[in-house]
Amino acid sequence: MLAVHELTTNYGAVCALDGVSIEVPVGQITAVLGANGAGKTSLLRTISGLVRARSGRVLLDGDDVTHVRPEDLARRGVAHVPEGRGVVAELTVEENLRLGGLFRKDRTDAARALREMYELFPPLAERRSRSAHTLSGGERQMLAIGRALVARPRVLLLDEPSLGLAPKITAQIMSLLRDLVAGQQLAVLLVEQNARSALSIADQGVVLGLGKVITTRAAADLASDVALRHAYLGF
Amino acid sequence: MSKFIDITLTGFSAGMVYSAVALALVLIWRATRVVNFAQGGMAMITTYIAVTVIDRGYGYWWAFAAALLSGLVLGAVLERVIVRRVESAPPLNAVVVTLGLLVLLTAVGGLIWGNSSRPSVPTPFSLAGYTFGKTTVGFGRFDTFLVLAVLAVMVLLVALFRFTGLGLAMRASAYSQEVARLVGVRVGRMLTLGWALAAIAGSLAGILVAPRVPLSPNFMDGPNIIGFTAAVVGSLDSPPGAVVGGVGIGLALSYVSGYLGADFALPATLGILIVVLMIRPEGLFSRAQARVV
Repeated sequence: MLAVHELTTNYGAVCALDGVSIEVPVGQITAVLGANGAGKTSLLRTISGLVRARSGRVLLDGDDVTHVRPEDLARRGVAHVPEGRGVVAELTVEENLRLGGLFRKDRTDAARALREMYELFPPLAERRSRSAHTLSGGERQMLAIGRALVARPRVLLLDEPSLGLAPKITAQIMSLLRDLVAGQQLAVLLVEQNARSALSIADQGVVLGLGKVITTRAAADLASDVALRHAYLGF
Repeated sequence: MSKFIDITLTGFSAGMVYSAVALALVLIWRATRVVNFAQGGMAMITTYIAVTVIDRGYGYWWAFAAALLSGLVLGAVLERVIVRRVESAPPLNAVVVTLGLLVLLTAVGGLIWGNSSRPSVPTPFSLAGYTFGKTTVGFGRFDTFLVLAVLAVMVLLVALFRFTGLGLAMRASAYSQEVARLVGVRVGRMLTLGWALAAIAGSLAGILVAPRVPLSPNFMDGPNIIGFTAAVVGSLDSPPGAVVGGVGIGLALSYVSGYLGADFALPATLGILIVVLMIRPEGLFSRAQARVV
Protein backbone atom coordinates (compact mmCIF):
# COMPACT_ATOMS: atom_id res chain seq x y z
CA MET A 1 0.00 0.00 0.00
CA LEU A 2 1.05 3.54 -0.73
CA ALA A 3 0.56 6.25 1.86
CA VAL A 4 1.43 9.93 1.88
CA HIS A 5 1.77 11.86 5.15
CA GLU A 6 1.77 15.63 5.44
CA LEU A 7 3.56 15.98 2.11
CA THR A 8 4.74 19.50 1.25
CA THR A 9 6.44 20.59 -1.97
CA ASN A 10 7.57 23.98 -3.23
CA TYR A 11 8.39 25.23 -6.69
CA GLY A 12 10.60 28.13 -5.69
CA ALA A 13 8.35 30.37 -3.63
CA VAL A 14 5.15 28.72 -4.87
CA CYS A 15 3.71 26.10 -2.58
CA ALA A 16 2.46 23.22 -4.76
CA LEU A 17 1.51 20.78 -2.01
CA ASP A 18 0.68 21.85 1.50
CA GLY A 19 0.54 19.03 4.04
CA VAL A 20 -1.24 16.45 1.89
CA SER A 21 -2.11 13.08 3.43
CA ILE A 22 -3.63 10.26 1.37
CA GLU A 23 -3.86 6.49 1.64
CA VAL A 24 -3.98 4.41 -1.52
CA PRO A 25 -5.16 0.89 -0.63
CA VAL A 26 -4.34 -2.18 -2.69
CA GLY A 27 -7.17 -3.38 -4.91
CA GLN A 28 -8.69 0.08 -5.12
CA ILE A 29 -8.63 3.11 -7.35
CA THR A 30 -8.07 6.39 -5.57
CA ALA A 31 -8.98 9.38 -7.71
CA VAL A 32 -7.34 12.75 -7.08
CA LEU A 33 -9.51 15.55 -8.39
CA GLY A 34 -9.41 19.31 -8.49
CA ALA A 35 -8.93 22.32 -10.74
CA ASN A 36 -5.82 23.23 -12.69
CA GLY A 37 -3.07 24.20 -10.29
CA ALA A 38 -4.62 22.34 -7.38
CA GLY A 39 -1.44 20.26 -7.02
CA LYS A 40 -2.57 17.00 -8.63
CA THR A 41 0.41 16.57 -10.92
CA SER A 42 2.81 17.82 -8.24
CA LEU A 43 1.48 15.11 -5.93
CA LEU A 44 2.36 12.33 -8.39
CA ARG A 45 5.72 13.86 -9.27
CA THR A 46 6.64 14.20 -5.60
CA ILE A 47 5.60 10.63 -4.83
CA SER A 48 7.72 9.22 -7.66
CA GLY A 49 10.66 11.43 -6.69
CA LEU A 50 10.82 13.56 -9.86
CA VAL A 51 10.20 16.54 -7.59
CA ARG A 52 11.83 16.72 -4.18
CA ALA A 53 9.54 16.81 -1.16
CA ARG A 54 10.27 19.63 1.26
CA SER A 55 8.71 17.86 4.19
CA GLY A 56 6.41 14.96 4.94
CA ARG A 57 6.76 11.31 4.02
CA VAL A 58 5.89 8.85 1.28
CA LEU A 59 5.48 5.27 2.53
CA LEU A 60 5.48 2.14 0.37
CA ASP A 61 4.30 -0.87 2.38
CA GLY A 62 5.50 0.93 5.49
CA ASP A 63 8.98 1.79 4.16
CA ASP A 64 9.92 5.45 3.93
CA VAL A 65 10.59 6.11 0.22
CA THR A 66 10.28 9.90 0.31
CA HIS A 67 13.77 10.57 -1.01
CA VAL A 68 14.23 7.44 -3.09
CA ARG A 69 15.20 8.40 -6.64
CA PRO A 70 12.57 7.80 -9.37
CA GLU A 71 14.62 5.08 -11.08
CA ASP A 72 14.98 3.16 -7.82
CA LEU A 73 11.34 3.61 -6.88
CA ALA A 74 10.36 2.27 -10.31
CA ARG A 75 12.41 -0.85 -9.59
CA ARG A 76 10.52 -1.23 -6.30
CA GLY A 77 7.21 -1.49 -8.10
CA VAL A 78 5.88 2.04 -8.46
CA ALA A 79 4.96 2.81 -12.07
CA HIS A 80 4.29 6.44 -12.92
CA VAL A 81 2.67 7.39 -16.22
CA PRO A 82 3.27 11.14 -16.53
CA GLU A 83 0.82 13.48 -18.17
CA GLY A 84 0.72 13.18 -21.96
CA ARG A 85 4.26 11.92 -22.31
CA GLY A 86 4.47 8.47 -20.86
CA VAL A 87 6.08 7.00 -23.97
CA VAL A 88 9.30 7.60 -25.88
CA ALA A 89 7.99 8.89 -29.22
CA GLU A 90 11.16 7.95 -31.15
CA LEU A 91 11.10 4.29 -30.10
CA THR A 92 8.79 1.66 -31.57
CA VAL A 93 5.72 0.34 -29.80
CA GLU A 94 7.50 -2.90 -28.97
CA GLU A 95 10.58 -1.07 -27.67
CA ASN A 96 8.42 1.07 -25.40
CA LEU A 97 6.80 -2.04 -23.96
CA ARG A 98 10.19 -3.72 -23.55
CA LEU A 99 11.39 -0.66 -21.65
CA GLY A 100 8.77 -1.37 -19.01
CA GLY A 101 10.18 -4.84 -18.39
CA LEU A 102 13.85 -3.93 -18.74
CA PHE A 103 14.63 -4.30 -15.05
CA ARG A 104 12.53 -7.32 -14.26
CA LYS A 105 14.60 -10.21 -12.91
CA ASP A 106 12.02 -12.71 -14.12
CA ARG A 107 12.66 -12.59 -17.88
CA THR A 108 10.01 -15.20 -18.75
CA ASP A 109 7.34 -13.23 -16.95
CA ALA A 110 8.51 -10.00 -18.56
CA ALA A 111 8.03 -11.63 -21.97
CA ARG A 112 4.64 -12.96 -20.89
CA ALA A 113 3.58 -9.51 -19.65
CA LEU A 114 4.54 -8.06 -23.01
CA ARG A 115 2.34 -10.59 -24.84
CA GLU A 116 -0.50 -9.84 -22.46
CA MET A 117 -0.35 -6.16 -23.37
CA TYR A 118 -0.89 -7.02 -27.02
CA GLU A 119 -3.98 -9.02 -26.04
CA LEU A 120 -5.19 -6.23 -23.80
CA PHE A 121 -4.59 -3.54 -26.45
CA PRO A 122 -5.09 -5.09 -29.90
CA PRO A 123 -4.30 -1.80 -31.74
CA LEU A 124 -0.78 -1.95 -30.30
CA ALA A 125 -0.27 -5.48 -31.62
CA GLU A 126 -0.95 -4.25 -35.15
CA ARG A 127 1.58 -1.47 -34.79
CA ARG A 128 4.36 -3.15 -32.83
CA SER A 129 7.20 -2.10 -35.11
CA ARG A 130 5.87 1.40 -35.83
CA SER A 131 7.44 4.26 -33.96
CA ALA A 132 5.31 5.61 -31.12
CA HIS A 133 4.97 9.08 -32.64
CA THR A 134 2.75 7.62 -35.37
CA LEU A 135 0.14 6.51 -32.82
CA SER A 136 -3.12 8.32 -32.10
CA GLY A 137 -3.66 9.92 -28.69
CA GLY A 138 -5.67 6.96 -27.43
CA GLU A 139 -3.14 4.43 -28.67
CA ARG A 140 -0.35 6.41 -27.07
CA GLN A 141 -2.14 6.35 -23.75
CA MET A 142 -2.66 2.59 -24.13
CA LEU A 143 1.04 2.22 -24.81
CA ALA A 144 1.97 4.34 -21.78
CA ILE A 145 -0.28 2.26 -19.53
CA GLY A 146 0.96 -0.91 -21.19
CA ARG A 147 4.61 -0.13 -20.60
CA ALA A 148 3.78 0.63 -16.95
CA LEU A 149 1.95 -2.70 -16.59
CA VAL A 150 4.76 -4.75 -18.16
CA ALA A 151 6.71 -3.87 -15.02
CA ARG A 152 3.95 -5.63 -13.00
CA PRO A 153 3.77 -2.72 -10.58
CA ARG A 154 2.31 -2.78 -7.09
CA VAL A 155 1.37 0.87 -7.38
CA LEU A 156 0.25 2.63 -10.56
CA LEU A 157 0.35 6.43 -10.70
CA LEU A 158 -1.66 7.78 -13.64
CA ASP A 159 -1.63 11.44 -14.58
CA GLU A 160 -4.62 12.55 -16.67
CA PRO A 161 -5.02 9.46 -18.84
CA SER A 162 -8.10 11.05 -20.46
CA LEU A 163 -6.24 14.18 -21.59
CA GLY A 164 -7.06 14.94 -25.21
CA LEU A 165 -9.01 11.73 -25.75
CA ALA A 166 -12.47 11.32 -27.20
CA PRO A 167 -15.13 10.44 -24.55
CA LYS A 168 -15.52 6.94 -26.00
CA ILE A 169 -11.80 6.20 -25.69
CA THR A 170 -11.73 7.69 -22.20
CA ALA A 171 -14.56 5.36 -21.18
CA GLN A 172 -12.62 2.39 -22.59
CA ILE A 173 -9.50 3.30 -20.66
CA MET A 174 -11.42 3.84 -17.44
CA SER A 175 -13.23 0.51 -17.63
CA LEU A 176 -9.91 -1.14 -18.40
CA LEU A 177 -8.48 0.34 -15.19
CA ARG A 178 -11.40 -1.06 -13.28
CA ASP A 179 -10.73 -4.55 -14.67
CA LEU A 180 -7.03 -4.28 -13.90
CA VAL A 181 -7.57 -3.47 -10.26
CA ALA A 182 -10.10 -6.25 -9.91
CA GLY A 183 -7.67 -8.83 -11.22
CA GLN A 184 -4.44 -7.82 -9.50
CA GLN A 185 -2.81 -6.79 -6.28
CA LEU A 186 -2.57 -3.27 -7.54
CA ALA A 187 -3.09 0.14 -5.95
CA VAL A 188 -4.02 2.86 -8.42
CA LEU A 189 -3.66 6.59 -7.81
CA LEU A 190 -5.51 8.31 -10.64
CA VAL A 191 -5.18 12.04 -11.20
CA GLU A 192 -7.98 13.41 -13.36
CA GLN A 193 -9.35 16.71 -14.55
CA ASN A 194 -12.32 14.76 -15.87
CA ALA A 195 -13.89 14.17 -12.45
CA ARG A 196 -17.09 12.60 -13.71
CA SER A 197 -15.45 9.70 -15.50
CA ALA A 198 -12.81 9.24 -12.79
CA LEU A 199 -15.46 8.97 -10.08
CA SER A 200 -17.41 6.47 -12.15
CA ILE A 201 -14.66 3.91 -11.62
CA ALA A 202 -12.90 5.06 -8.43
CA ASP A 203 -13.45 3.62 -4.97
CA GLN A 204 -12.23 6.68 -3.17
CA GLY A 205 -11.96 10.33 -4.19
CA VAL A 206 -9.64 13.02 -2.89
CA VAL A 207 -10.38 16.64 -3.75
CA LEU A 208 -7.40 18.98 -3.84
CA GLY A 209 -7.58 22.76 -3.83
CA LEU A 210 -4.50 25.02 -3.87
CA GLY A 211 -2.26 22.23 -2.63
CA LYS A 212 -4.45 21.16 0.28
CA VAL A 213 -6.79 18.23 0.72
CA ILE A 214 -10.35 19.64 0.76
CA THR A 215 -11.97 16.30 1.43
CA THR A 216 -11.44 12.55 1.13
CA ARG A 217 -14.54 10.44 0.66
CA ALA A 218 -16.03 7.40 -1.00
CA ALA A 219 -16.35 8.07 -4.72
CA ALA A 220 -20.13 7.61 -4.78
CA ASP A 221 -20.44 10.12 -1.93
CA LEU A 222 -18.46 12.73 -3.78
CA ALA A 223 -20.41 12.23 -6.98
CA SER A 224 -23.69 12.87 -5.15
CA ASP A 225 -22.55 16.01 -3.31
CA VAL A 226 -23.86 18.66 -5.69
CA ALA A 227 -22.42 21.68 -3.82
CA LEU A 228 -18.91 20.20 -3.73
CA ARG A 229 -19.12 19.14 -7.37
CA HIS A 230 -20.03 22.65 -8.43
CA ALA A 231 -17.37 24.27 -6.26
CA TYR A 232 -14.39 22.03 -7.08
CA LEU A 233 -15.13 19.46 -9.76
CA GLY A 234 -16.86 21.48 -12.43
CA PHE A 235 -19.76 19.16 -13.19
CA MET B 1 39.84 5.95 -65.64
CA SER B 2 42.52 4.38 -63.51
CA LYS B 3 43.14 7.77 -61.93
CA PHE B 4 39.45 8.01 -61.09
CA ILE B 5 39.45 4.56 -59.43
CA ASP B 6 42.64 5.44 -57.60
CA ILE B 7 41.19 8.69 -56.26
CA THR B 8 37.92 7.00 -55.33
CA LEU B 9 39.69 4.33 -53.28
CA THR B 10 41.88 6.88 -51.50
CA GLY B 11 38.81 8.95 -50.73
CA PHE B 12 36.94 5.94 -49.43
CA SER B 13 39.71 5.07 -47.00
CA ALA B 14 39.97 8.64 -45.74
CA GLY B 15 36.18 8.81 -45.59
CA MET B 16 35.99 5.87 -43.21
CA VAL B 17 38.18 7.78 -40.76
CA TYR B 18 35.92 10.83 -41.05
CA SER B 19 32.97 8.51 -40.47
CA ALA B 20 34.50 7.34 -37.21
CA VAL B 21 35.07 10.95 -36.08
CA ALA B 22 31.54 11.91 -37.14
CA LEU B 23 30.09 8.87 -35.38
CA ALA B 24 31.82 9.85 -32.15
CA LEU B 25 30.30 13.33 -32.38
CA VAL B 26 26.84 12.00 -33.25
CA LEU B 27 26.79 9.48 -30.38
CA ILE B 28 27.61 12.21 -27.89
CA TRP B 29 25.14 14.65 -29.42
CA ARG B 30 22.37 12.06 -29.28
CA ALA B 31 23.10 11.09 -25.71
CA THR B 32 23.73 14.46 -24.13
CA ARG B 33 22.92 17.22 -26.69
CA VAL B 34 26.49 18.42 -26.44
CA VAL B 35 28.75 19.03 -29.45
CA ASN B 36 32.03 17.60 -28.25
CA PHE B 37 34.66 19.98 -29.62
CA ALA B 38 37.21 18.22 -27.39
CA GLN B 39 36.93 15.06 -29.53
CA GLY B 40 40.17 15.77 -31.41
CA GLY B 41 42.08 16.43 -28.22
CA MET B 42 40.81 13.22 -26.68
CA ALA B 43 41.82 11.20 -29.74
CA MET B 44 45.23 12.90 -29.72
CA ILE B 45 45.83 11.89 -26.07
CA THR B 46 44.79 8.29 -26.67
CA THR B 47 46.97 8.07 -29.79
CA TYR B 48 49.98 9.35 -27.83
CA ILE B 49 49.24 6.75 -25.17
CA ALA B 50 49.33 4.10 -27.91
CA VAL B 51 52.64 5.49 -29.19
CA THR B 52 54.06 5.36 -25.66
CA VAL B 53 53.04 1.71 -25.45
CA ILE B 54 54.92 1.04 -28.71
CA ASP B 55 57.96 3.03 -27.46
CA ARG B 56 58.08 0.81 -24.40
CA GLY B 57 58.60 -2.15 -26.71
CA TYR B 58 55.12 -3.63 -26.86
CA GLY B 59 53.59 -4.59 -30.18
CA TYR B 60 51.07 -2.76 -32.34
CA TRP B 61 48.06 -4.67 -31.07
CA TRP B 62 48.83 -3.76 -27.45
CA ALA B 63 49.02 -0.14 -28.55
CA PHE B 64 45.78 -0.46 -30.53
CA ALA B 65 44.00 -1.91 -27.51
CA ALA B 66 45.53 0.75 -25.25
CA ALA B 67 44.19 3.51 -27.51
CA LEU B 68 40.62 2.20 -27.48
CA LEU B 69 40.68 1.37 -23.78
CA SER B 70 42.11 4.73 -22.76
CA GLY B 71 39.49 6.37 -24.98
CA LEU B 72 36.76 4.52 -23.11
CA VAL B 73 38.15 5.65 -19.75
CA LEU B 74 38.85 9.23 -20.86
CA GLY B 75 35.35 9.61 -22.32
CA ALA B 76 33.70 8.29 -19.17
CA VAL B 77 35.84 10.41 -16.84
CA LEU B 78 35.36 13.65 -18.79
CA GLU B 79 31.57 13.16 -18.89
CA ARG B 80 31.35 12.28 -15.22
CA VAL B 81 33.68 14.92 -13.85
CA ILE B 82 33.29 17.91 -16.16
CA VAL B 83 30.56 17.68 -18.77
CA ARG B 84 27.93 16.41 -16.30
CA ARG B 85 27.93 19.88 -14.74
CA VAL B 86 26.87 21.66 -17.93
CA GLU B 87 24.54 19.09 -19.49
CA SER B 88 21.42 20.77 -18.15
CA ALA B 89 22.80 24.31 -18.47
CA PRO B 90 22.24 26.52 -21.55
CA PRO B 91 23.88 24.99 -24.67
CA LEU B 92 26.51 27.73 -24.88
CA ASN B 93 28.00 26.60 -21.55
CA ALA B 94 28.65 23.14 -22.95
CA VAL B 95 30.24 24.62 -26.09
CA VAL B 96 32.60 26.74 -24.01
CA VAL B 97 33.45 23.81 -21.75
CA THR B 98 34.26 21.37 -24.57
CA LEU B 99 36.26 24.05 -26.42
CA GLY B 100 38.12 24.70 -23.17
CA LEU B 101 38.75 20.99 -22.78
CA LEU B 102 40.23 20.89 -26.28
CA VAL B 103 42.70 23.65 -25.40
CA LEU B 104 43.49 21.97 -22.09
CA LEU B 105 44.03 18.52 -23.62
CA THR B 106 46.23 19.99 -26.38
CA ALA B 107 48.33 21.76 -23.75
CA VAL B 108 48.56 18.64 -21.59
CA GLY B 109 49.60 16.60 -24.63
CA GLY B 110 52.34 19.15 -25.35
CA LEU B 111 53.51 19.11 -21.72
CA ILE B 112 53.82 15.35 -21.59
CA TRP B 113 54.98 14.46 -25.08
CA GLY B 114 56.42 17.72 -26.41
CA ASN B 115 55.02 20.13 -28.98
CA SER B 116 57.34 19.22 -31.82
CA SER B 117 56.07 16.62 -34.21
CA ARG B 118 57.44 13.12 -34.08
CA PRO B 119 57.47 10.28 -36.63
CA SER B 120 54.27 8.48 -37.42
CA VAL B 121 53.12 5.33 -35.69
CA PRO B 122 54.39 2.11 -37.29
CA THR B 123 51.80 -0.51 -38.17
CA PRO B 124 52.09 -4.18 -39.12
CA PHE B 125 50.26 -3.37 -42.34
CA SER B 126 52.03 -1.95 -45.34
CA LEU B 127 50.97 1.59 -46.21
CA ALA B 128 51.78 0.98 -49.87
CA GLY B 129 48.90 0.50 -52.27
CA TYR B 130 47.99 -2.79 -53.89
CA THR B 131 49.62 -3.36 -57.28
CA PHE B 132 47.63 -4.66 -60.22
CA GLY B 133 49.93 -5.46 -63.12
CA LYS B 134 51.89 -2.28 -63.56
CA THR B 135 49.61 0.13 -61.70
CA THR B 136 49.65 0.75 -57.99
CA VAL B 137 46.42 2.12 -56.50
CA GLY B 138 46.12 4.42 -53.50
CA PHE B 139 44.61 1.70 -51.37
CA GLY B 140 46.61 -1.03 -49.70
CA ARG B 141 46.73 -3.47 -46.82
CA PHE B 142 46.58 -0.74 -44.18
CA ASP B 143 43.51 0.75 -45.86
CA THR B 144 41.83 -2.65 -45.87
CA PHE B 145 42.55 -2.95 -42.16
CA LEU B 146 41.30 0.59 -41.58
CA VAL B 147 38.01 0.01 -43.37
CA LEU B 148 37.43 -3.30 -41.60
CA ALA B 149 38.27 -1.83 -38.20
CA VAL B 150 35.84 1.08 -38.62
CA LEU B 151 33.14 -1.25 -39.98
CA ALA B 152 33.65 -3.65 -37.07
CA VAL B 153 33.25 -0.87 -34.50
CA MET B 154 30.14 0.38 -36.31
CA VAL B 155 28.57 -3.07 -36.47
CA LEU B 156 29.27 -3.63 -32.77
CA LEU B 157 27.74 -0.25 -31.87
CA VAL B 158 24.66 -0.86 -34.02
CA ALA B 159 24.23 -4.33 -32.49
CA LEU B 160 24.55 -2.88 -29.01
CA PHE B 161 21.98 -0.14 -29.63
CA ARG B 162 19.52 -2.26 -31.62
CA PHE B 163 19.57 -5.65 -30.00
CA THR B 164 20.42 -5.31 -26.31
CA GLY B 165 18.50 -4.09 -23.30
CA LEU B 166 21.43 -1.85 -22.44
CA GLY B 167 21.23 -0.24 -25.88
CA LEU B 168 17.48 0.26 -25.48
CA ALA B 169 18.07 1.91 -22.10
CA MET B 170 20.70 4.18 -23.67
CA ARG B 171 18.41 5.21 -26.50
CA ALA B 172 15.52 5.85 -24.12
CA SER B 173 17.82 8.01 -21.97
CA ALA B 174 18.86 10.00 -25.01
CA TYR B 175 15.31 10.69 -26.14
CA SER B 176 13.44 11.12 -22.89
CA GLN B 177 15.28 11.23 -19.60
CA GLU B 178 12.05 11.42 -17.65
CA VAL B 179 10.43 8.32 -19.12
CA ALA B 180 13.75 6.46 -18.86
CA ARG B 181 14.02 7.25 -15.16
CA LEU B 182 10.40 6.25 -14.59
CA VAL B 183 11.04 2.77 -15.98
CA GLY B 184 14.09 2.37 -13.75
CA VAL B 185 16.95 3.35 -16.08
CA ARG B 186 19.91 4.95 -14.30
CA VAL B 187 20.17 7.76 -16.84
CA GLY B 188 23.41 9.24 -15.50
CA ARG B 189 25.25 5.96 -16.09
CA MET B 190 23.82 5.70 -19.59
CA LEU B 191 25.16 9.17 -20.46
CA THR B 192 28.60 8.27 -19.11
CA LEU B 193 28.52 5.07 -21.14
CA GLY B 194 27.45 7.06 -24.21
CA TRP B 195 30.52 9.27 -23.90
CA ALA B 196 32.75 6.26 -23.30
CA LEU B 197 31.51 4.45 -26.42
CA ALA B 198 31.76 7.61 -28.52
CA ALA B 199 35.32 8.13 -27.34
CA ILE B 200 36.19 4.62 -28.54
CA ALA B 201 35.11 5.60 -32.05
CA GLY B 202 37.13 8.82 -31.72
CA SER B 203 40.23 6.98 -30.48
CA LEU B 204 39.92 4.54 -33.34
CA ALA B 205 39.99 7.48 -35.76
CA GLY B 206 43.12 8.79 -34.01
CA ILE B 207 45.09 5.59 -34.22
CA LEU B 208 44.04 5.10 -37.85
CA VAL B 209 45.10 8.61 -38.87
CA ALA B 210 48.43 8.40 -37.03
CA PRO B 211 50.43 6.12 -39.38
CA ARG B 212 50.13 8.58 -42.28
CA VAL B 213 50.88 11.89 -40.57
CA PRO B 214 53.58 13.15 -38.22
CA LEU B 215 52.30 13.15 -34.67
CA SER B 216 51.88 16.45 -32.82
CA PRO B 217 49.35 17.70 -30.26
CA ASN B 218 47.36 19.21 -33.13
CA PHE B 219 47.47 16.25 -35.47
CA MET B 220 43.72 15.51 -35.19
CA ASP B 221 42.62 19.07 -36.01
CA GLY B 222 42.25 18.45 -39.74
CA PRO B 223 40.43 15.09 -39.56
CA ASN B 224 38.29 16.53 -36.81
CA ILE B 225 37.11 19.56 -38.78
CA ILE B 226 36.27 17.30 -41.71
CA GLY B 227 34.60 14.74 -39.43
CA PHE B 228 32.57 17.53 -37.87
CA THR B 229 31.47 18.64 -41.32
CA ALA B 230 30.51 15.06 -42.13
CA ALA B 231 28.43 14.84 -38.96
CA VAL B 232 26.61 18.09 -39.72
CA VAL B 233 26.09 17.14 -43.36
CA GLY B 234 24.66 13.77 -42.39
CA SER B 235 22.66 15.25 -39.48
CA LEU B 236 24.00 15.27 -35.95
CA ASP B 237 21.13 13.01 -34.92
CA SER B 238 21.76 10.14 -37.28
CA PRO B 239 24.53 7.51 -36.92
CA PRO B 240 23.94 6.19 -40.46
CA GLY B 241 24.06 9.82 -41.60
CA ALA B 242 27.46 10.20 -39.92
CA VAL B 243 28.81 7.20 -41.79
CA VAL B 244 27.40 8.23 -45.17
CA GLY B 245 28.45 11.83 -44.54
CA GLY B 246 31.98 10.73 -43.66
CA VAL B 247 32.43 8.58 -46.75
CA GLY B 248 30.75 11.21 -48.94
CA ILE B 249 33.04 13.99 -47.71
CA GLY B 250 36.05 11.69 -48.00
CA LEU B 251 35.23 11.01 -51.65
CA ALA B 252 34.40 14.64 -52.42
CA LEU B 253 37.67 15.89 -50.94
CA SER B 254 39.62 13.21 -52.73
CA TYR B 255 38.15 14.30 -56.08
CA VAL B 256 38.82 17.95 -55.26
CA SER B 257 42.45 17.36 -54.36
CA GLY B 258 42.92 14.84 -57.17
CA TYR B 259 41.54 16.98 -59.97
CA LEU B 260 41.90 20.55 -58.66
CA GLY B 261 44.85 20.29 -56.28
CA ALA B 262 45.32 19.50 -52.60
CA ASP B 263 45.15 23.17 -51.63
CA PHE B 264 41.46 23.23 -52.47
CA ALA B 265 40.52 20.42 -50.06
CA LEU B 266 39.97 22.41 -46.87
CA PRO B 267 38.11 25.32 -48.53
CA ALA B 268 35.96 22.71 -50.27
CA THR B 269 35.10 21.13 -46.89
CA LEU B 270 33.92 24.43 -45.53
CA GLY B 271 32.13 25.17 -48.79
CA ILE B 272 30.18 21.90 -48.50
CA LEU B 273 29.37 22.72 -44.87
CA ILE B 274 28.02 26.16 -45.77
CA VAL B 275 25.98 24.91 -48.75
CA VAL B 276 24.40 22.10 -46.72
CA LEU B 277 23.62 24.43 -43.84
CA MET B 278 21.93 26.84 -46.26
CA ILE B 279 19.86 24.24 -48.07
CA ARG B 280 19.12 21.72 -45.35
CA PRO B 281 20.26 23.06 -41.98
CA GLU B 282 19.02 19.98 -40.13
CA GLY B 283 21.32 17.73 -42.19
CA LEU B 284 20.64 15.38 -45.06
CA PHE B 285 19.64 12.42 -42.91
CA SER B 286 17.42 14.06 -40.35
CA ARG B 287 13.95 12.65 -40.06
CA ALA B 288 11.43 15.43 -40.19
CA GLN B 289 9.16 14.72 -37.27
CA ALA B 290 7.26 16.53 -34.62
CA ARG B 291 8.94 16.13 -31.27
CA VAL B 292 6.64 16.02 -28.29
CA VAL B 293 8.39 18.09 -25.69
